[in-house]
Amino acid sequence: MQFLSTNFMILWVISFALYYLVPKKRQWMILAVASGLFYVAGTGGIPVGIVLTGAGAYGCGIYLTRSLEAQKAALLDMADKERKKAVKQGFERRRKRVQILYFVCSLGILLGTKYMVVILPFFQKLGLTTPRSDAFFARVVMPLGISFYTLTAIGYVVDVGREQCRAAENPVRLFLFLAYFPAITQGPFNRYAKLQEEYEREHVFSYERMLFGVQRFVWGAFKKLVIADRINLFVGNVFGSMEGGLPGSIYALAVVSYMIQLYADFSGYMDMALGISETFDITLPENFKRPYFSKSVAEFWRRWHITLGTWFKDYVMFSFVMSGTGRKIGKSAKKRWSKLGKHVTGIIGTMLVWLLTGMWHGRTVSYLLWGVYYGVIMCLSLVLEARYAVWKEKLHIKEGKVYGLFCMARTWIIVFVADVLIRAESLSQAGEIYRAMVTDFRLKAGILSVSDYGLGRYGFLLLAAVCLLWLAVSVWEEKGKDVRRMLAASPAAVRWCCYYGVVLLLLITGIYGGSYDTAAFLYQSF
Amino acid sequence: MEEKVLEILEEYCEEALTYDGDNMMEEGVIDSFTVINIVSELEDAFDIEIDAKYVVAENFRNKEAIIELVRQLVED
Repeated sequence: MQFLSTNFMILWVISFALYYLVPKKRQWMILAVASGLFYVAGTGGIPVGIVLTGAGAYGCGIYLTRSLEAQKAALLDMADKERKKAVKQGFERRRKRVQILYFVCSLGILLGTKYMVVILPFFQKLGLTTPRSDAFFARVVMPLGISFYTLTAIGYVVDVGREQCRAAENPVRLFLFLAYFPAITQGPFNRYAKLQEEYEREHVFSYERMLFGVQRFVWGAFKKLVIADRINLFVGNVFGSMEGGLPGSIYALAVVSYMIQLYADFSGYMDMALGISETFDITLPENFKRPYFSKSVAEFWRRWHITLGTWFKDYVMFSFVMSGTGRKIGKSAKKRWSKLGKHVTGIIGTMLVWLLTGMWHGRTVSYLLWGVYYGVIMCLSLVLEARYAVWKEKLHIKEGKVYGLFCMARTWIIVFVADVLIRAESLSQAGEIYRAMVTDFRLKAGILSVSDYGLGRYGFLLLAAVCLLWLAVSVWEEKGKDVRRMLAASPAAVRWCCYYGVVLLLLITGIYGGSYDTAAFLYQSF
Repeated sequence: MEEKVLEILEEYCEEALTYDGDNMMEEGVIDSFTVINIVSELEDAFDIEIDAKYVVAENFRNKEAIIELVRQLVED
């Protein structure tokens, strides 16, 4: 079930009405039922994956909480320090074993599912499958949002083990946390403690909140249908061109367009998800903070898919660096190389995070290279950070607007190079695109043929106009202004002109139907 | 103790000394790489182990929070 579908609208309206009608303490149940319906309808089959992952997380959480309580009770009256340490370590060891077992099982389900597309044809070739088993795998093995709920469940188990939240007593509450319908398909990644606080609060109907939520949803749909899907008409044709040999300038424009498309598509989805959730008075974490205003790649990734970055930082990077192995490596590196040694664990942790981020996004070599590329750039920029200050001083570079723009442009170029890898149909096409942009740019030929790739002159003009509107809104937001509140405070005539303007633009210029699934979001496939 | 913590912060993230907000990690004042370096230095300086569960935005929200974390771990 997609957000932009009649079925979803019916589900949203009915659950919204019931949510504010039932007693306040039962409101979370409405969300649980709506999430269940959304999930089963979205999966179109038996939701075995989420049931197994969720049941495992539930059992693991209960075990960890009991073990922590037992540890506290055992240590309470113990006076001997050495004995205390040994008992504590015993409990910790057992908890770690259970956690590792859970991680292996849930990641096994995730990887098995992700790579099933590669494995199944191989088994079919060997004659090891039957039509019945193929049908079974097609129905059962492709659960909705598996990448999202698996990482969310792992985060929950770690948080319980770190005593950052108490384990869920009620399995339905845990299911709601994992499968909360605005967030299940593409995130944002939630933390159990934070989301539970939201569910447990009493939620009173507010007209203003409902209006703001719907406004954000419409704005997200606008970004998706008017901007992202319009760009796709051009980008899809350029990258789908089998003959190759296109001017480098066309490829360059297609990659820049893809950078905007991916942002409009994914942040549009987030606006919709956060808008839907806002109507239920449940605040989800922001996932984007205008990333293209970033002055460095590190900042870009602090503003793009924020909750995924935080997830990897908290649960992978810090876990590794502060583990026994991480500490050992760090200490021996410090002894061997006095200056660079202190960076070694950070570098290993960063590379690990980026390799996993690449693997999480896709199963091809291109995604792996994409991860390595970002990992290397992050490590270089962090290690060389101190040098930058020296170079800047030597070159008499003063920080100001021009330098800020230069830094932003530098970030765009780095993202541009990376996006070629993940958008190209194959690694060889990516190579061909890099080559064409360097040795065969043909600017004039590109300008003359730009409207031959599915998007005409007026299509480009309209796209430029709506992107300017989006840019204006982003600049306001970057200056710390709340555009929705600004609109709400403006005269009625201005306010309604803006509302109708966006809705009319959405209805008239949105891309509906066509040869591809307009309602599907790019990040859904990651 | 406080002086030593501030000395370490000065070496790795001078900005942290003048920062007067309460969300250093999320505001990008202190990045994960710097956090790792600071944690490692604090561990060596005070002979403590800072477990990953303590490395959260809450404990690194500003210099006072970091000092408080070290104080707690030293006392434990």
